[in-house]
Amino acid sequence: MAYAGPVLLKRIPDDPAQRKLYRYADYIATGGYASLKKVLAMQPEDVIKLVVDSGLRGRGGAGFPCGTKWTFLPKDLFPRYLAVNFDESEPGTFKDRYLIDHDPHILLEGIAIAAFANKISTSYIYIRGEYHHEAKLLEAALAEAYEHGIFGQKHPGTDIVGHCYVHRGAGAYICGEETGLLESLEGKRGWPRIKPPFPAVAGAFAKPTIINNVETLACLPAIVEHGAAWFKAMGTPSSSGPKLFGVSGHVNKPGVFEEELGIKMSTLIEKYAGGVKGGKYRAAIPGGVSMGVLGTDQYDAELDFDIGRKYNVLGLGTAGVIVMNDKTDLVGMLRNIVRFFAHESCGQCTPCREGTAWMHKILNRIVDGFGQPHDFDMLAELCLTMGAMPGTTICGLADGANWAVKTFLQKFPEDFKSRLKSRQVQGVAVSGAGVA
Amino acid sequence: MPTMEVDGKKITFEGKKMILQACLDAGVELPHYCYHSGLSVVASCRICLVEAEHPNPKDPTQMIKIPKLIPSCQTPAMDGMKVYSKSPKAAANQKAVMEFLLINHPLDCPVCDQAGECSLQDYSYKYGRAESRFEEDKAKKPKKDIGPHVLLYSDRCIMCTRCVRFTHEISGTSELAVFGRGHKEEINVFQGRPLDNPLSGNVVDICPVGALLDKDMLFTQRVWFLKSTASISPFSSGGENIFIEHNQGRIYRIKPRFNADINQWWISDDIRYGWKFVHENRLNKLVQGGKEIDWETAEAHLDGMMRKAVAEKGPGSTALVLSAFDTTEEMYLAAKWIRSIDRQAWLVLNPPRVEGTDQTFKNPVTGAVTYVIRAEKAPNRQGAEKIIAHFAGNTCDLSDLAAKVSGGAFAAAAVVLDPIAGTDRAVETALAGLDNLAVLSSRPTALTGRAALALPVCTWAEKSGVYENFAGRIQAFDRAIEPLENTHSAGAIFWSLLGESGTYRSQDGRTMMGREGLPDYAGVTVPKREKKIQLMEFSPL
Repeated sequence: MAYAGPVLLKRIPDDPAQRKLYRYADYIATGGYASLKKVLAMQPEDVIKLVVDSGLRGRGGAGFPCGTKWTFLPKDLFPRYLAVNFDESEPGTFKDRYLIDHDPHILLEGIAIAAFANKISTSYIYIRGEYHHEAKLLEAALAEAYEHGIFGQKHPGTDIVGHCYVHRGAGAYICGEETGLLESLEGKRGWPRIKPPFPAVAGAFAKPTIINNVETLACLPAIVEHGAAWFKAMGTPSSSGPKLFGVSGHVNKPGVFEEELGIKMSTLIEKYAGGVKGGKYRAAIPGGVSMGVLGTDQYDAELDFDIGRKYNVLGLGTAGVIVMNDKTDLVGMLRNIVRFFAHESCGQCTPCREGTAWMHKILNRIVDGFGQPHDFDMLAELCLTMGAMPGTTICGLADGANWAVKTFLQKFPEDFKSRLKSRQVQGVAVSGAGVA
Repeated sequence: MPTMEVDGKKITFEGKKMILQACLDAGVELPHYCYHSGLSVVASCRICLVEAEHPNPKDPTQMIKIPKLIPSCQTPAMDGMKVYSKSPKAAANQKAVMEFLLINHPLDCPVCDQAGECSLQDYSYKYGRAESRFEEDKAKKPKKDIGPHVLLYSDRCIMCTRCVRFTHEISGTSELAVFGRGHKEEINVFQGRPLDNPLSGNVVDICPVGALLDKDMLFTQRVWFLKSTASISPFSSGGENIFIEHNQGRIYRIKPRFNADINQWWISDDIRYGWKFVHENRLNKLVQGGKEIDWETAEAHLDGMMRKAVAEKGPGSTALVLSAFDTTEEMYLAAKWIRSIDRQAWLVLNPPRVEGTDQTFKNPVTGAVTYVIRAEKAPNRQGAEKIIAHFAGNTCDLSDLAAKVSGGAFAAAAVVLDPIAGTDRAVETALAGLDNLAVLSSRPTALTGRAALALPVCTWAEKSGVYENFAGRIQAFDRAIEPLENTHSAGAIFWSLLGESGTYRSQDGRTMMGREGLPDYAGVTVPKREKKIQLMEFSPL
């Protein structure tokens, strides 16, 4: 059976007037925490097997199989920690906030299930610093959960007491990178760590740690309730389950929508987001600006974890789709994207620290009308030397910046080339002081 | 022993080591900025990335090629591994990193103190490109006065964070930190907490570029004029290994010399900045009763003074006060000389200054001891005590000497004085009542002023010899600069008084000691300087 209505957003109606915050009592009344009760009667290994069988892949961007990640924990190393990645900072991405704004307990139930399955003692919800409203909501929901024995209790059959805390970030995109998150959680500067050791072996406070996205964990109650086969029936063979899609940009009805993985972007835009606004579709970013751009001929791209291979983008990312119509200044768009990366680069690795700022300066110049013909090749070369050659930096931020630049240049070269003129044509003195 | 092939060259390594460290130990240079053998690995400069392949653990005849470029500073070396640092991919990365580091780096090498010993310059020649393709404005960052000894030129900084890690891991004081983010980030100190710890000067040594500069050395000398001489610190009992860096008879700076057992890569600021006395307020006139004399007369007079005392008052009427600042050979020759005149001459140690207790620095995380500043502020107490024990017979300490002097038991004494200020008060008081006094000193003091004979001698930088540290480790050092005009080393004076022929060399002193019952000293030499890794590869024109 394929997708038959909202799973994650089942408590959040489409009509904004009818949306409300589900507190503990409301959550219980709509079948909440039933999955947790069911799980506590199971063996932890069976829960992990269930998640592996469901084919649930991480919703945070990389799409790593969730159950497989769990199996990386060393057998006899305790305590173990869970870090919930709620540092949702990618431009165009607001799905987790929408979910927590109305239904915080679905996350807490998911955390409780993951904590039981992996014998985790402490879970940290690392929440983006700017999400102060959601931090308060989660604090309140956590207090209710503690009150009703969801946390602060021993996992059945063990001596491990499950705790959960909300930890607020301080406003850095890089702290959404899993090891940057761990550093920040430990109270350090959010500089991604070099690996190995991997977080599953030595993560937060040098203990085995699992890092999962909010949406990934929010899928768990449904998987437990309906079973792995039900979950796997949705989506495509390699990308199973429902997915939250945030749609923004030039659409008539921006917002967060739930659909199964693998739906066509055109369907998402037309059926859910009310169609393209102010003109015709020209380009779209599939999932957060680090994933690159989909071209005009890729309107029907299937939004699943294979999108990268099929459509020459980095991946599905967070599925925060940004739609651009045919009147969009794509050079200006790319300038904004690169400005974001230049601003958010943590400054640890040389190529990313210097390269993002360099690309930003070049794009600034092009937008200001001082671009020269060789700037196109310079940009193209920069994004190749900076990280498109994978692994030249510690984390993936440089790759993200590069994929954005690279795909914009590849798919819309004329937008750039038409803005580039030699200095003679620009009427600027060739010798003497530079223009930039 | 496991072996590895780096760019076609076989190298061996022992134990668990990273590729880069194994290469450096084997004398093969891979480019690196953020990596320092004494600090934790951050793998952030990204210039050490290499291509590598390693044997398949299941079938060692098969090699597995690692698809990505790997950071050699962070990847463990494996037996049978093949590393390619000059492959097109690795070279492209080196070129890219060099370009990135230089786009915001000011082109002020002509006025930069680091020029000539700068990794950025060296690697730029070897791995970089000849011209800049950067047309934008360079980021402008300020110069900062971050501590009593150190200046920070933020615009030259390449954010390797070695200095930050040093203050976290070695000094344990954490004054330095990274502020800001991305290309706007800077190293800085916290407000009101300057980089003021006893090891602060080391950050200048580990800075691979000219960002951290030594105020003491600032703009005084271009480094390519400096000659460096292996030496031992004369300022404490630790026996820290140093280089004296000098030009045309003047010292410009002192740098640490790596010794795994003693000071590793570091020295304290006392040692680094303590050399000033070599060029200040020196005694350079031979004075006898207010009248200048020449060396021949002076030596004859010194000898005569002692012989006269023995002749008049019998054996045991002379004393030799040894200083823990002199080399062991000098003390041996002096003691041998005085005992040849007066077989019951008293041998006395002028006790070195002790300041508080040993100051130990630890890595706050691991608890490992990283550096110890010794409380005893003289390099050779052990040597002096060994000489006194070797000659045995009449020995006493300084307070007994004072009693004997006031009791009138002495007719003459020779004093070998400390070269460093503020330590001779005790001797001065002890010998207050003695008129028939000969003093060998490197600087004018109250004692040289009232002595019957004052002889100007060299400081440690102007002579060679051995010092024995607190743990009994005997280490030789070389002469760095020519002695100040009209000064002799104490060794040369007693060598000639003993009637030995030829110019005195400390090696002759050690050979003599070896022959005469102190075999530990005979074979001690300054360790050969490791061949400096040849960085530049010029092709013949």
